Amino acid sequence: MAELVGAVAVAGGGIAGIQSALDLADSGLKVYLIESSPAIGGVMAQLDKTFPTLDCSMCTLSPKLAEASRHQNIELLAYSEIKEISGEAGNFEITVTRKATYVDPVKCTACELCLAKCPVKVLDEYNAGMSKRKAIYLPFPQAVSRVMTIDAEHCIYLTKGKCGNCKKVCENDAIDYEMKDRDEVINVGSVILSTGFAPFDPTELEQFHYEHLDVVTALEFERLLSSSGPYVGHVKMANGETPKKIAWLQCIGSRNPEIGRPNCSAVCCMYATKEAMVAMEHDSELETTIFNIDLRAFGKGFEQFYQRAKNETGIRFIRSRPSGVDIDPVTNRLSVRYEVEGSTETAGEEFDMVILSIGLTPSESSKKLAEIAGIEMDEYGNITTAIDAPMTTSVPGIFACGTIVAPKDIPDTVADASGAASKAHSILASARGTLVIERTYVPEKDITDEEPRIGVVVCDCGINIASVVDVPAVVEYVKTLPYVVHAYEQTYACSTDSLDNIKDVIKEHNLNRVVVASCTPRTHEPLFQDTCRDAGLNPYLFELANIREHCSWVHQQEPKLATEKAKDITRMSVARVALLDLLYTQKLDFNHGGLVIGGGVAGMTAALDIAEKGFTTYLVEREPELGGLFRTFTRLQDGRTTTEILDPMIAAVNSNPNLTVYTGTTLDEVEGAMGRFKGKLSNGEEIEFGSAIIATGANEFEPEGYFGYGADNVITQSALEVKLDEGTVDAASVVMIQCAGGRNDERPYCSRVYCTTAMKNVIRLKEEDPERNIYVLYRDIRTYGVWEELYTRAREFGVIFMRYTEDDEPVVADGTVTITDKLLNDTKFEIATDLVVLSAPLVAPEGAEDTAMLFKVPVDSNKFFLEAHIKLRPVDFATDGVFLAGSAQAPKLVDESISQASAAASRACSILAKEQLETSGVISVVDADVCIGCGRCVEVCPYGAPELKEVEIVTEEISYMTRKSEIDPAICKGCGSCAAECPTSAITARHFTTKQISAVIDAFAFTDGSIEEVA
Amino acid sequence: MTNNSNNSQVCYQCGTCIAICPVRRVVKFSPRVAIYDSNIYDTDTDVWDCLTCGQCVTACPQGVRLLDFFLDQRIGGEPRDIVHKGVFTELADLMTQLGNSKTTLLKGDDTAGIGYFPGCVDFHDMFFDLDMDFGEIATSSVTLLSKAGLSPKIMQLKCCGHDQLWQGNQEMFDKLKEENTRLINESGIDTLVVSCAECYRTFLMDYDLDCEVKHISQVLADADLGITNGSATAAIHDACRLGRHTGEYDAPRKAIAATGANIVEMQHTKENALCCGVSSMMNCNDHTKALRVLRMDEAKRTGADVLITSCPKCLAHLNCLKEEEDSEHGHDYPFEVLDLTVYLARKLGGGNGGDGGDGDE
Repeated sequence: MAELVGAVAVAGGGIAGIQSALDLADSGLKVYLIESSPAIGGVMAQLDKTFPTLDCSMCTLSPKLAEASRHQNIELLAYSEIKEISGEAGNFEITVTRKATYVDPVKCTACELCLAKCPVKVLDEYNAGMSKRKAIYLPFPQAVSRVMTIDAEHCIYLTKGKCGNCKKVCENDAIDYEMKDRDEVINVGSVILSTGFAPFDPTELEQFHYEHLDVVTALEFERLLSSSGPYVGHVKMANGETPKKIAWLQCIGSRNPEIGRPNCSAVCCMYATKEAMVAMEHDSELETTIFNIDLRAFGKGFEQFYQRAKNETGIRFIRSRPSGVDIDPVTNRLSVRYEVEGSTETAGEEFDMVILSIGLTPSESSKKLAEIAGIEMDEYGNITTAIDAPMTTSVPGIFACGTIVAPKDIPDTVADASGAASKAHSILASARGTLVIERTYVPEKDITDEEPRIGVVVCDCGINIASVVDVPAVVEYVKTLPYVVHAYEQTYACSTDSLDNIKDVIKEHNLNRVVVASCTPRTHEPLFQDTCRDAGLNPYLFELANIREHCSWVHQQEPKLATEKAKDITRMSVARVALLDLLYTQKLDFNHGGLVIGGGVAGMTAALDIAEKGFTTYLVEREPELGGLFRTFTRLQDGRTTTEILDPMIAAVNSNPNLTVYTGTTLDEVEGAMGRFKGKLSNGEEIEFGSAIIATGANEFEPEGYFGYGADNVITQSALEVKLDEGTVDAASVVMIQCAGGRNDERPYCSRVYCTTAMKNVIRLKEEDPERNIYVLYRDIRTYGVWEELYTRAREFGVIFMRYTEDDEPVVADGTVTITDKLLNDTKFEIATDLVVLSAPLVAPEGAEDTAMLFKVPVDSNKFFLEAHIKLRPVDFATDGVFLAGSAQAPKLVDESISQASAAASRACSILAKEQLETSGVISVVDADVCIGCGRCVEVCPYGAPELKEVEIVTEEISYMTRKSEIDPAICKGCGSCAAECPTSAITARHFTTKQISAVIDAFAFTDGSIEEVA
Repeated sequence: MTNNSNNSQVCYQCGTCIAICPVRRVVKFSPRVAIYDSNIYDTDTDVWDCLTCGQCVTACPQGVRLLDFFLDQRIGGEPRDIVHKGVFTELADLMTQLGNSKTTLLKGDDTAGIGYFPGCVDFHDMFFDLDMDFGEIATSSVTLLSKAGLSPKIMQLKCCGHDQLWQGNQEMFDKLKEENTRLINESGIDTLVVSCAECYRTFLMDYDLDCEVKHISQVLADADLGITNGSATAAIHDACRLGRHTGEYDAPRKAIAATGANIVEMQHTKENALCCGVSSMMNCNDHTKALRVLRMDEAKRTGADVLITSCPKCLAHLNCLKEEEDSEHGHDYPFEVLDLTVYLARKLGGGNGGDGGDGDE
C-alpha cells in the first residue's frame, strides 16, 4: 500500500466544505479547500436569515469564512476545479485546474479602484441576476479570498483587446491579462465531496410564468430581503412599488414525478415560512400566503416555528396546490386559482408577487465531479450512500456530505460535513500532524509604560447598523474621547480586507488598544483579537462594543436616539479598553481519551469513530445490552433488518482495542472540564477523559390515554415491527394514526421519523398481504427528502390516506375508528378495523436532565439536549469539550443519527488530537494573602474550578494550618461568579476587574463636557 | 379497452386538478373529490361532469392518469344528458347491427396502401342546424391528400366508438372496435389517415391496430401543397384529442404556417388550451356553454381572422356560439371558425379562406 498522506482535499466551499475543512485542519490534517467560484460560502452566503431562529445568515457564516481563510492548515484553492483523481484511499493524486483570475492575488488589495473604472456591467450571480456587477469583481462584500477576479467572458480587454482600464488604475500592478489557466497536482490521503446543489430552474414549468418579473424564485426573494441585496433589503416589485400581497407556491420542482423529480426537497416549507415571516417584519401591513400540499415542519423547533407563523404572525397557510400562475392579459396582474381548504370551493386571488419555492437539484458540476471520481449516483444524480454509512461513497477513501447526497437543511449538512471529516480523519489517523505548520506570530510588542493609544473602528454592518445609527456621527464623536488617536468607519469590519486594514492601522498609528463597535462578541471577538495579535498587540487589549444587537436592531424606529446610544456604548468601551491588562494563555497537558454516554447506534458510532483514530475511548450504556432505540425496530427503510446493522457494529465495538464498554452501568459523577474530566461509574470505577459525547437517545412514548392505547389491538409502531417480524399480524384491516400524542400542547414538536416509519410499515403490511385494507390517518405527511418515494409506493399499494386535525381527532372504539373526513365536507367516516397502530412521538429518556446536570449542559423545554447553535453548531454544546449526537438532540432517522455521531466524534477528536490545551487568559485568580478560605467560591462556581486546599501558614514564630482557595486555570471560564461572591475581594476576575467595570459605569453615568445632551 | 391503467391511488390530494379544471369554473365538479370518493368510498359521483379535456393530466404533479380514471369509472355506468336526443349513440348502435355499408361518398384509390376515414361528418350535417358544411371536411381531406400525392382508399368504417366509450358503454364500443378492426385488417392498408381528432385518439390509443394511424395534419405538415397565398392571421384551437390526449401540437401549425399565414397564439394554447366546452355528446348545457365564451373571447383578443381546429365537435360547438352572436353583450366574433382541412383546401382553390372566405356557401 502506498504511503498515507496526511492531507485531505475538500471539493466545494459551501458551508459543508468549510465545516469539513475546519474540523480536519483543527485535527492536524492539511486541507486543500477547492471551490469553483472565486469565493467560498456557497448558497448560505446568499441567504438573508435562517429558520427557525431568524438569525442573519451571513452574520453566522462570516466568522467561519474568515476562520477557514486564516487557518494555517487550510490552503484555499478558489476559482479552481478538479480535473482528475487517481490513486487509492490513503494516497490520491488530484489534478486541479486553477482558473485564471487575471489578478495577482498577492498584489491585489481589493481596494476597488478598478471597480469604479470597469465599463462592463454583468448580471450579478450573487444577487441571483437581479442586479449588475462589473466584469472585474468581488462576489460579495465578505468574500474570501478577498481578491478581484476578472470575468474573462465579459471583459472587453480579454475578448476584444480594448479598454484595459483596470490595469491603468491599479496602483499595485496586480492586473495580469496574460494569466493562463494552469493545472496543479496535489497529493492527499482522502477526498470529501461537498459541492452542494443547484436551485431548480422553474423555466420548464411554463404554467408558473417565471418570465413575469414579479414571479421570482425563493432564492431571488432571499436576495430581495437581504440588506446586501439589489434593493438593500427593500422588497420591490418590477414597477418599483412595494408589494402588499405575496404568495409562495410550494413544491416547485419537488414531489413531482411527472417531471422526473419525485423527491421532496426537505427545506422549502421552512424557508418559505421564514421568508414570509421576515417579509412581514419588513412591512407589517404585508399579507402573506403559503400554498402547500403538506407543511413539512419536521426538524428541531420547526413545528413550533410553523405554529407561531400561523397563529401569531398571521401567515395564511393554504393546503392546496395551484395549477399555475395566471397573468391578466390586460393589466398584467398575477393571480392564482386554488381550492379553498376544508371545502370543495375554488377561489381566484390576485397577488402582487408570487414566490416559487424551488427545490434542490443535483448540480451539473457535482455530477461531473462524481464521474471524474468514478462514484455511483442514483437515477436523479444524488451520490449513492447507505443508511448505515451515510457519508461513504462507492469509492474507498472518498466521502460525500451535504446536499450532494440528498436535499437537506443547514444543520444536517453541517453534521454530515463533520461526519465526513471524521471518516477521512479515521483512515489518516497515523499520518496526523505530518503536513501541518505551527502558527507563528510576530513578537508581541512591549507596551508597558505607554500611555493608551486607542483606535476605534465603527462598523456599518452593511445596513444592519448604518440604516439606523448615524455612523459618521459616531466616528466624529469617538475622536473626541480621551486617548483615542484614530477612529474610522467600515462597511463590514469583519471582512478579511477590513481585518487586514485594522492591522495596518495599528502599525500606522502605533496603537496599543483597539475598540471595534459592531456586533456581538460571542461570534466576532476571537476574530478581532486574533487580528490584534497578528499585529503584535496582546489580544486582550481589545474591546468589542455591541452597537447592533444592543442598539440598531432594537431601536429601529428611533434613529436619533439610537445614534446617541451607540455613542454611549462606544464611549463605555473606550473607557474600559484604556484600563485593560496584558493577559497570557497557558499551555497544559491533558487527557486524550473520549467518553461516550449511550450505547445506541449513535453512541456506538461515535465511540468507534473516536477509537479508530487511536484515542482511548469509554462507552457507557445503562441497559444490559447495546443497541438502544434501534433495537426496538426490526427493519430499515431499505428493507434490511436492523440486526444486519447492529450485529457487526456491536462486534466492532467489542473488539476495538482502544474501546472499553460498560453495559448495565451509569455515569454517576463528573468533575473537571475539557481535557481533564474525571468520572465515577456506578460500578465504582473511576475514569478520566478529555472530551465527552452525550448520545443518550430517545424513547418511543407510551401513548397512554390516546386513541384507546392499552387495548390488545391498539399498539405502537415498534410493537407492530416486532409483530411483522414474527409474522403475527392477524388483521385484515389496519388503521394507523399519526401524531398520536405528539404535536400537541404537552409535546409540541414533530417527531420527524414517524411518517417515514409508517410508510415503511404499511408497505411491509401490504407486501405480506396485498388484500389487507390499510388506512393512514394523518395531519401532514412529512416523508421529507428521498423518503417521499416510500409515500408514493404506499399509495401505489392502495393504502388509503385520510387527514384529520388536532381539534377533531379520530375516535377509536371497539373494532372501529371514526374520523371526520376533512377532505370531504366534514362527514363522519367509520372504519372497521382489527388493528390500530399509533405513531407515538419520540420523547427524551428518563434521566436526560441528570446527565445534563453532570456536564452542566442545557436541555430544551422538551428535555432534548440543547446544542450551541441550531444551524452551525448542531453537535456542540456551549460548554467546551462536550458534544451531543443522535436523538438525544431531537428525534431523527438512523442515517441522520449516524452522521451526527461521526460529527460529534470529529469535533471531539479535533480537541483530543491536539498536543496541549491552551487556556484562556480571561480567568479568575485568587490573592492567597487575602483569602480567608470560606469556600463560597467553591459553592457558586458552575464549573468546579475553585478548590479549597489545606495550606500551612508559616510566620516568624507561629505556624498554623488553614484553607485557601485555588482556581484551576484549565477549568475556569472566567465568568466572575466567584469574584462577585468573594467577601474579601480576594478573587479578581481578569479582564473584568472592579476597576475596569467601574470605569465603564462611570463612562455611562458621567458624560464629559464634549458630549451634547439629547433634547 | 385502454392501454393504460388507472393509477389514481397515487393522488396525494393536492388540489392542482381542481385549480386548473375548466369544468370547475362552471359547475361544482372536482376531479380530486371524484378520485377521493372512488378510492375511499368506492362511489362514482361526479364522473359525468368531466369533459375529459385532459388539462388536469398535464398539471398533475404526481402523474395521475385522470383520463383513464374517468374512463374506468364510467364503464358500465349510466351517462346523463346525452345531447341531440342521443341520436348519435342510437346511430352507432344501429351501425353495430348493419352489415358492410355500400354507400360510397367519395372516390378513392381502392388499391392504395393508405386509407382515409372521414368519420361521421355526414351525420353532423344531418343533425346540426348550423350554417356550415361538415361534409366539406371529407371532400377537402381527399383533395389535399391527392394534392400531396397520396390518393387514399376511402374507408367505409363504422363509427369509431369514441363517444360510446366515453359514455361508459364498453359493450357497444367493443362491438364497433371489433368490426372496424376486421374491416381495416381486410382492407390491406398500412396507414389509416383520419381528419377527426376524436377518431385519431380512438384508433391510436383505444384500438390495437397493426397499421399506422395518422391525423391528416401530420401528413399535410410534411407535404408540399404549393399554397403561398395564405395571408390570413390564424389562431389555432388545439382540440383536446389531438393535443393533450395524443401530444400533437406542431403538425397543424406547420401545415398552416407553410401557406404563409401568420399564426397567433391565444392566451391558453397547446397543452394549456382551454376546452371548447363539450365532449362525447354530453354536457352541452348553459354551464359548459360558458366555456365556449371564454375560448372565443380569447380568440377574439388575438385579432385573428380565422380560428382553426381539427375536431368536428369543437367546430360545431364554437360555430354554434357564432350563430348566437350577441353584440350587445360583447359576444360577437368577427372571424370564421374552420376545420384545418377546409381552410387549406379553400386555399388550394386560390381563394382566401381567412377573411370570410369564398367557397363558404
